Amino acid sequence: MAPPQPRPTRRLAPYAFLAPATLLFSLFFALPIGYAVYLSFRAVRVKGLGLGSGARTEVWAGFGNYTSALSDPELLGGAGRTLVYGALLVPAMLGAALFFALLLDTPAIRFGSFSRLAIFLPYAVPGIVASLLWGFLYLPTVSPGYFLLTEAGMSGPDLLSGNGLYVALANIAVWGGTGFNMIVIYTSLRSIPVELYEAARLDGCSELKVALRIKIPMVLPSLVLTFFFSMIATLQVFSEPMTLKPMTNALSSTWSPLMKVYRDAFVQGDIHSAAATSVIIAVGTLLISFGFLKLVNKRTDGGS
Amino acid sequence: MRTKSTRWIPTLILLLGAAYCLVPIIWVVTASTKSGQELFTTFTFAPGTGFLDNLAELSSYRDGVYWRWMLNSALYAGFGALLSAALSGVTGYALAKYRFRGRNALFSILLAGVLMPPITLAIPQYLLMAEAGLADSYWSVLLPSILSPYGIYLARIYAAAAIPDEVVEAARVDGAREFRLFRSVALPMMVPGLVTVFLFQFVAIWNNFLLPYIMLGDDAKFPVTVGLYSLLQQGANAPALYTLVITGALLSIVPLVALFLGLQRYWRIDLLSGAVKS
Amino acid sequence: MNRRVLAPAALALTGVLALAACSGSADTGGKAASGPVNLTFWSWTPNMDKVVALWNQGHPDIQVSVQKQASGDDLVTKTITAAKAGNAPDLVQAEFQALPTLVSNDVLADIAAQAAPVKSQFAAGVWQQVSLGTDAVYAIPQDTAPLALYYRADLFQQYGLKVPATWTEFADAARQLKQKDATKALTTFSANDSGLFAGLAQQAGAKWWTAAGETWKVGIDDAATRKVAEFWGGLVKEGAVDNQPMYTPAWSKALNDGSQIAWVSAVWAPGVLTSSAPDTKGKWAMAPLPQWTAGESVTGSWGGSTTGVTTGAKKAGHADAAAQFATWLNTDPTAVAALVKEAGIYPAATSAQTGAALATAPEFFANQADFYPKAAELAKGTAPAAWGPNVNVAYSTFKDAFGKAAQDKGDFGAALTAMQQATVADLKKNGFKTEG
Repeated sequence: MAPPQPRPTRRLAPYAFLAPATLLFSLFFALPIGYAVYLSFRAVRVKGLGLGSGARTEVWAGFGNYTSALSDPELLGGAGRTLVYGALLVPAMLGAALFFALLLDTPAIRFGSFSRLAIFLPYAVPGIVASLLWGFLYLPTVSPGYFLLTEAGMSGPDLLSGNGLYVALANIAVWGGTGFNMIVIYTSLRSIPVELYEAARLDGCSELKVALRIKIPMVLPSLVLTFFFSMIATLQVFSEPMTLKPMTNALSSTWSPLMKVYRDAFVQGDIHSAAATSVIIAVGTLLISFGFLKLVNKRTDGGS
Repeated sequence: MRTKSTRWIPTLILLLGAAYCLVPIIWVVTASTKSGQELFTTFTFAPGTGFLDNLAELSSYRDGVYWRWMLNSALYAGFGALLSAALSGVTGYALAKYRFRGRNALFSILLAGVLMPPITLAIPQYLLMAEAGLADSYWSVLLPSILSPYGIYLARIYAAAAIPDEVVEAARVDGAREFRLFRSVALPMMVPGLVTVFLFQFVAIWNNFLLPYIMLGDDAKFPVTVGLYSLLQQGANAPALYTLVITGALLSIVPLVALFLGLQRYWRIDLLSGAVKS
Repeated sequence: MNRRVLAPAALALTGVLALAACSGSADTGGKAASGPVNLTFWSWTPNMDKVVALWNQGHPDIQVSVQKQASGDDLVTKTITAAKAGNAPDLVQAEFQALPTLVSNDVLADIAAQAAPVKSQFAAGVWQQVSLGTDAVYAIPQDTAPLALYYRADLFQQYGLKVPATWTEFADAARQLKQKDATKALTTFSANDSGLFAGLAQQAGAKWWTAAGETWKVGIDDAATRKVAEFWGGLVKEGAVDNQPMYTPAWSKALNDGSQIAWVSAVWAPGVLTSSAPDTKGKWAMAPLPQWTAGESVTGSWGGSTTGVTTGAKKAGHADAAAQFATWLNTDPTAVAALVKEAGIYPAATSAQTGAALATAPEFFANQADFYPKAAELAKGTAPAAWGPNVNVAYSTFKDAFGKAAQDKGDFGAALTAMQQATVADLKKNGFKTEG
């Protein structure tokens, strides 16, 4: 127990603490990313009929995979569809989450903890299972909703084709994500000092006014954060449309950008163009994320 | 009169929201009670008579491989989340409590991992894992699941908020070595935050599909998500085993729900909201 | 505190290591010259492990373990990736149309020497598909799947419909049914399984891929396929048949409650109907596939699969053992009988098609005692199949292009053109010489 030179160990300590994370990051993120980038510049060339061993060789492809990925209208189309989907999903999900959180925070609410738990429950359901459940509920001939509508002499909307599809897909994500975001906003509401709005209430402000004038501005940071994570999740939408795909003609295998990556890599067996497309998607996500963070930091003073 | 009715309206709206969230759950519960014959013929929410048969059939499918999948999921998610919480704890602590060169750069690089779509990484990860001779092993699923950029992010915020600098300094004055200081002073203070990281990562690994799907060939090592997928994709001459899939899906949710209800009071999602404020 | 957490973690980690070590030792054990050879087998056939158990009992020196897979288009890629990483199983189940793709990616080993003795047990057209028209043999055929028309005998009678012998009569039957009851449909045109469309085109005489010298000719957009596409496109457009995909819960329900009363399918249909439409047991009958020219008896196939030996097994010195298992599985009377009984497949070996294993009709078709003799009769008329090295691309384009056309009740001809173009473009991109 002799601490003659505390400073060097203290200077080295953080690096030692960070070593495991750095090692794992290098092995399981950086290395595969680098490998993906490498693959994106390669292509397969076939000799003769391409049968038998040695028929396929890998060659340098330059930017060939990138130019063909960027000139494929399906990638742009997928990005457009994702945008529409996100424009439906994010406001609906965060709106509902904020609304429920504010309701939970009103005085004298009944069954509050039951509702909170029930709304949060879908978070525990895997995306694949959630899509499977909703898939059953969307198909007109097996869905109880359509059954009731038919009994009432009405016909339900077709959720598995045309624009209904966006609603169908967004609904699955709203169902799965509202509860989580609600809890985030709710906990942040709970941390607002009560005195802040007790005074307003005494002045005769309605609950609505308290919510609009005091509570919402106070939880704005959480809203920004939930918006940011929802946005990234939207850009990476994959498992919901993938699970619904076999149930309808309207979902193509390139519906979202990541589905196109999956199709290229796993169905058509072309790792190289899939790698190029995913690099493009990753760069796009990176730019959007940084742009968003810049924007937020500019608006709030300073930021961390 | 008026105040009474306005009080009931928020409650009612919340209950409606709860009902919306519960409908698919109720559906899967009732559907799992139906035999193959009842599944498409009886009214959706009418309970069936086949739950025990479905359960028996699921349990006997390929000599009970379903339970093996559940056990595998528990292994992957349990150990993965445990190691992930430990790693996030030590990393988050270092990032929050030390000033050193490259701190912010390193943090940003670790966080950027979130932005990389998992599909992009799956094939390169597989090829590299195979190079190391680890493909189709438990390691191939466990190792890549340990590092969670999200977990590190949470742990950093929590460490910054929960460990006062004075406590750290006092321990140093007492002569504690840096690692000892972390282990016996900082770590205990971070436990509630790390429980949250554990839960997040547990759910994320339990629900992960693509990574194990690519990595594993041996169905005895499948987690339950990949196993259910293999029941659903039976091929042209053998259709999806809907009753098994539905019963299996229900049972696969149960551990997660139990975990959530059981550890409810340890949830510290407010970590997230605290984050932006500071 | 932290010791309490870490100690069980460390203990548990050791457990995982032990598990991993166990599986590792199984693999290396196979490579050793002495002791039993251990082979792994990727298959999606239900109950395959029960059939393999029979082999393992009789062959202590060659032990096979089944690793059941989710079937589907992505399984081919998974196998190719595994092979590329040197991690493929020793034996794989592969559909006929996947063979050129697998061979092209150097996944399958040539087992011509080991397979020579059993060549005579398979029909020439089937054997041609596993040899890809070369001297090599890349797999042993497991099951074939000739197409037939399955129809609800009771409902056909109720609506006074004649069992169609030609496609013209088929279209008439579809229209008549719609007139009598607008809520029913004869069948559906499904865009989510390309195999059926490929089989129908095969019946019409299409040759999607042909090789001449060093050049592949793609004939997806040929006259025969165009005839098939436009026939179904017309039926969908006029609303005579449904346009929703198969293998969905809604489809199961439609078959079960009689909303759809016929299904063009392969000989494995009874197994699917058993689980999809359990209430209709004994009400179905099988008839020959409707013909383009009256009086002929030509059919196509939908699926059918083989057992292949991988190049990985060959490198490890297990090619002989693996080929021995593959031939046993698909030609030995006990094995084939078990495959029929446990997995409900229709064996490819001609001796088995008339053997004792197929003496009784499937339970679901108990009303049609001569089910299998009739199927054997149909199988004789199977038109030759022609597969190429990028069937996966053609199939996935089919799903998107025809899915959209079916949904919009639009132009099936244009969808076919899109399928042709995407297939040719993919070949060109990979450096194949192409034509067409």
